[in-house]
Parts: sequence; C-alpha cells; structure tokens
Amino acid sequence: MAAREPLLKIEDLWVSVEGKDILKGVNLTINPGEVHAIMGRNGSGKSTLSYTLMGHPRYHINRGSIIFKGEEIGELPPDERAKKGLSLAFQYPVAIPGVSVSNFLRASVKAVRGKEIPVKEFRQELKAQMALLEVKDEFLSRYINDGFSGGEKKRLEILQMTLLKPALAVLDETDSGLDIDALKVVSTGINTLATEETAVLLITHYQRILNYVKPDFVHVFQSGQIVKTGGSELSEELEERGYDWVTQELTPSGVA
Amino acid sequence: MGETVKTIAKERVDEITKQTSEPAWLKDSRLKAFESYLKIPTPCNRDENWRRTEVDALDLSTLNVVVNDSKEKKAAKEPAVITAALANLGKNLPYIYTTPQSVEIGNADSELLSKGVIFCSLKTALAQHADLLSKYLAPENLPCPDFAQNDKFYLMNQSLFNSGAFLYVPKNVVLESPVLNVLSSGEETSIAIFPRVIIIVEQGAKAEFVNLCTADKHKTTGESQALSLVNSSIETYVGANASLSYLDVSDFSANTFAVSRVYNEVKKDGSLHASTIALGGWQIKSDIQTNLKEPGAKSDIRGVVLGAGNERYSFNTIQDHIAPDTSSTINFRVALKDSSSSAYLGTIRVSKEGQRTDSYQSNKNLLLGSNAHADSIPKLEILADDVKCAHGATVGPADKEQIFYLMSRGLSSLEAEELIVTGFFRQVVQSCPVDGAGDWINSLVADKIHS
Repeated sequence: MAAREPLLKIEDLWVSVEGKDILKGVNLTINPGEVHAIMGRNGSGKSTLSYTLMGHPRYHINRGSIIFKGEEIGELPPDERAKKGLSLAFQYPVAIPGVSVSNFLRASVKAVRGKEIPVKEFRQELKAQMALLEVKDEFLSRYINDGFSGGEKKRLEILQMTLLKPALAVLDETDSGLDIDALKVVSTGINTLATEETAVLLITHYQRILNYVKPDFVHVFQSGQIVKTGGSELSEELEERGYDWVTQELTPSGVA
Repeated sequence: MGETVKTIAKERVDEITKQTSEPAWLKDSRLKAFESYLKIPTPCNRDENWRRTEVDALDLSTLNVVVNDSKEKKAAKEPAVITAALANLGKNLPYIYTTPQSVEIGNADSELLSKGVIFCSLKTALAQHADLLSKYLAPENLPCPDFAQNDKFYLMNQSLFNSGAFLYVPKNVVLESPVLNVLSSGEETSIAIFPRVIIIVEQGAKAEFVNLCTADKHKTTGESQALSLVNSSIETYVGANASLSYLDVSDFSANTFAVSRVYNEVKKDGSLHASTIALGGWQIKSDIQTNLKEPGAKSDIRGVVLGAGNERYSFNTIQDHIAPDTSSTINFRVALKDSSSSAYLGTIRVSKEGQRTDSYQSNKNLLLGSNAHADSIPKLEILADDVKCAHGATVGPADKEQIFYLMSRGLSSLEAEELIVTGFFRQVVQSCPVDGAGDWINSLVADKIHS
C-alpha cells in the first residue's frame, strides 16, 4: 500500500488571490521519482500553483485538497512543508541583503534535515554540488541573491534543491532568462536532482529546457486548469504548433 | 545603599571633590555647572530636544547618586562580561571594569600601553595627569555642542561625574588592538550613575576603543518598577592625521533611563569611525555630535538599535562641517519588536566655510512588532554653496516575500525574522574597523532576539 501511494495528489484545487480565482479545479498526481512538466502561457496560473503548493500566505485555497505523502498540507506553514520534503525553486528569487549564502544554506539544511551537519561534511557536500553547477567559491560569502545575475539566481536555486534533496522539487520557470550555456548547466543540476528519491515538477513556458530534461509526463495548463496530459512528445507538439490548437481542441467552436 | 537617600544635591558635588585629589579648576567647574543645573528646569517633552523622551516619568528626587570612592585596583579575576567580550575582540586586551562599588583594571601592563599611552580610570587620570586633562576639561576649554546648551542632564554629568575612563595616545603611536571600558550598573535600582569617558588620539596616532554599558538584568525584572539613571558623557578628540575607531555597546536593564552625550572632534585629515549599538533599556536618549574642524577631516558614524517590549529610543546625530573639504557618513539601522519605538533625528550642518563638504546620511527602520513605531527626521542646515549632501530614510515592516523565501527553506517564521534582522544590521556592523566587533555584535543581537 505504502509503496503505491502517490507522493502528491492534488484534487479539484481552487485558489484565489485577493478575491480573484486563479486556479479552477486542478487535478494532478505525482508518484515518487517522476518528472512532470507543466507548460502553459504566461498568466495561465502556473506560478500560482507553485506558490500554493509551497504555502504562500497570499494564496487562498477555496476548495479541493493537496495531499503530500498521504497528509493534507493545505493548512501547513511553508517551513513545515519544507521539512516534509517539498521544495520550490523560485521564478524570482528574493534578495536578502546582509545574509550570506553560506550562513543561509547551513541554516536551511539544518532546519530541513532536522539536525546539525558537521562543518567539514557540509563543506564537502557543498563543494561537490557547486562544482557541478559551475558556481564559484565567492558565491558563498555574497548576500543571498543580492546583485546576482539572472543565471546566478537560478543556479543558487538549483544548488539549494540539490542540498535539500526534497521528495518533490517544484521548479518554477527555472529556465527563464538563461542563455544556452547556463541552461545546460542548470539542466545538468536538475537531472542530478531527479532521482528515485526526488520527483520533479517543472513549470515552464518554453519547450527548450525539455531538450535537456526529459519529463515522464507533460501537462498543458490553461485558465487555471490542467487541460491536457501526455508524454514528452506533447511538449514538442506544443513547440511546433503553439498553444492555440489545444484551446481549439477543447472548445470546438474556437471560443476560449 | 544606606537609609538616607543621597539625592542629587550640592552635598554630592562636595563629597566627590573632597574624596578625590581633583585639581582646583575642576572643583570650580563642577560647582559652576551645579549652579546652572539648579537654575534650569527639568526638560519636558515640549522641549525640542526631548520631544521623543518621556522624561516626566523619571523622578530625580528619588535617585541615589552613586559616589564611587573606591580606588582603581588590579583585577584579581577577569569578570565574566569581560571574558565574553574578549572572546570576539581578542584575548588579553587592556580593560577597565567599573561597578557602583569598584573599579578594576586588567591586562594594563601589556605591551600595548608602553610608548606613553595612558589608559586608566578617569579618577586616576585626574590625580596623575591633571595638566593634560585641563586642556579638555577646564571650563575655558570645554567644547560647546548643541546638547550642552542649557541642558539639565548635561550639567548634571558635568557636576557629578565620578567614574569613567581615560585614553591618551601620544603623537604617532599606533595601537593595533582595542582597549575596553566596561561599566556595569549592577543590581541596584533607584540609582544615578554619572560616567565620563575622554579619548585623545594625538597627531598621526591610531586607536581603537570599545565602551560597553551593561547591567545585571536578573535582579531588575519583576516587581521592581523603580527607575535608575545612567547619565554619561563621552568626548573624543582625533588629531591631525590620526584615526580613532570607537565602538559603544549598551545593554541596560529594563528600568534604566540612559542619557548618553557624545562629542567627537576631528582635526586635519583625521578620521573617526564610531558605531553605537543600543540593545536595551527603558528609555535611551542619545545625542552624538561630530565636529569636523579642519580640512580633510572624515567621520563615519553608524548605529544599530534593536528595540523590544516598550523600550523607547531617541537618537539625535549632528554632523557639523565646520571646515572646507570634510566628509561624513551616517548609517543608522533600527529594528523594533513588540511595542518599542524609535525617533531618529539626523542633522547635517555645513558652515559658510564648509565648501566641498561631502555628506551622506541614511536611516533605515525595520518594524517587526505590530505596535512598533519609528520616526525618521532628516535636517539639513547648509550655508555653503558647493556641497554634496544626500540623505535617505525608510520605515517599514519586514519584507513578507523574504520571510516566505526563508520559510520555504525550512526556517520557522522566528528563525526567518532573526536572519533578516541580523542581515539588516550586518550591512552596518560587518565592516566595523574594530577587529572582531562584527561577530560580537551579531551574537549580542541574536541573544536579544531570542530573549
């Protein structure tokens, strides 16, 4: 029973922001170790889904449920979700001046793993991941995202994911704003992350990143819902034909 | 304390002058100051400079003046508070430790103090170096900062100061590590303490000075509502081409009314760095005036204020650009928990002669408590026409997006807040030129956030 239990099960999820409905009945099931991609236009509600999963206080769940590891997490504060093994790589990571990356990473790893990690051990682990993501040492003494380039911010997000080793990593437009070299590096990081222990939910606007990260499932997001689900071939179709045909398929009259 | 209340009265001035070997000019000066003290009414919050302080709540007639008649002694054992500070600042640094009953000096025989450097209690200095001190303390040589004008608390200190420290660094002597002056106001309530610190860094010399005011907090909570007064005066003189890094840390008990007056004077091409860290007290009223007296003089003033409970802070800084080609920066950061409040008034003054002044003033306030309140008032008085003066102020709550970001990484909301506050302060304290000060302040800030 336990082995077959989905990692995440979202059922009929309705979410509003400042009184406005954004998510309108999302259904999604992710099993351990799977890689899912959600694709959709800007403004379709993709980011709302990621913020809602992580528990941003601005997003209100009006209906439905989010079951993670068999437990409803809709009411849990973000830190408890993180401790349960959920993590979010932000589309727009926040700068926190005065807080160094190394202090933050230690505090965060300690909080999520629930125990102090010996400095030496932590250093070794950190250095290995940094090498993989081609992150320089000086990164550690800088303040979190303060004055970081777009690429540096995304690398720091992935670096955190690889250290926190969540059961589910939600990556919100991690590919946006990256040049091709950075995209390759970040993709390598994501592929290292995506193991049997870590499922990935990749939210993206472009098909581009899916050349490097192969999803098991692709979902099309539209008007606050998942409207179509397929295998990785679906992303190529979207790239070729755009999103309009999905809309037309759903509403034969052509009226969205 | 005995049964008779040793109130603020002329008898106290007499007592102080009698029991120490003070020079005659100082006795006159004390008496004159006390005469003026009697004539001036106690300030109230209608007075511009006291508007942000609830001075009425302090009943001066209930206070016992501490007349510390003990002689400076070599410390037999390093007090715990010194050990804690030295853990960050560096072992074996010279220190003076003053309580209402005692004055101890430690590590003073170290090599640092050769080369004619004087570091001792002010009382010892007055007995042994009266001529040197007269250049700074004799009535005709006293500076006249704004806060000294008809101010009852200033005059109170001028007439009654009887503890404190003296540092003298002769010409071209470089002190590579700081000296430490610690005042502990002890466990008693209803007391009045009047410390005074004089720092002189002569031409081409270099010094670092750490001043710490602290209290035994365990005994002053709970039932006791009786207020105490710590009324201090700090004067620093930075000579031509000299450099002084000064760090002032205060962590008073919850029943302490602390009045602190700082006067800094910087001469040609001299540079002053002064950081003030305020971590507790019932009310803190602090004036910091810096006079840039000769061309090329520079000052860098920083402040870190962490309020909690009902604490009230009032900081008033004045940068007085008297000579041309002087520069100053001010960076004051205030974080307020619970119902604490702060008022920051920052004045940049440029005289007619102060051409090519370069001055920058910043005050940022982080409101953590829902009932916390902060005011920030910049004031520019500029008479020269070729100057660069900039100022900026912000008041606002902790950024919700920052908190969410940190919580999404497993930190509780309290841990997130702590990280944000230490980060907010770190930008000011990290580059503090006193070695080890950054880490020390970070740990003191963390202690207060947890308390």
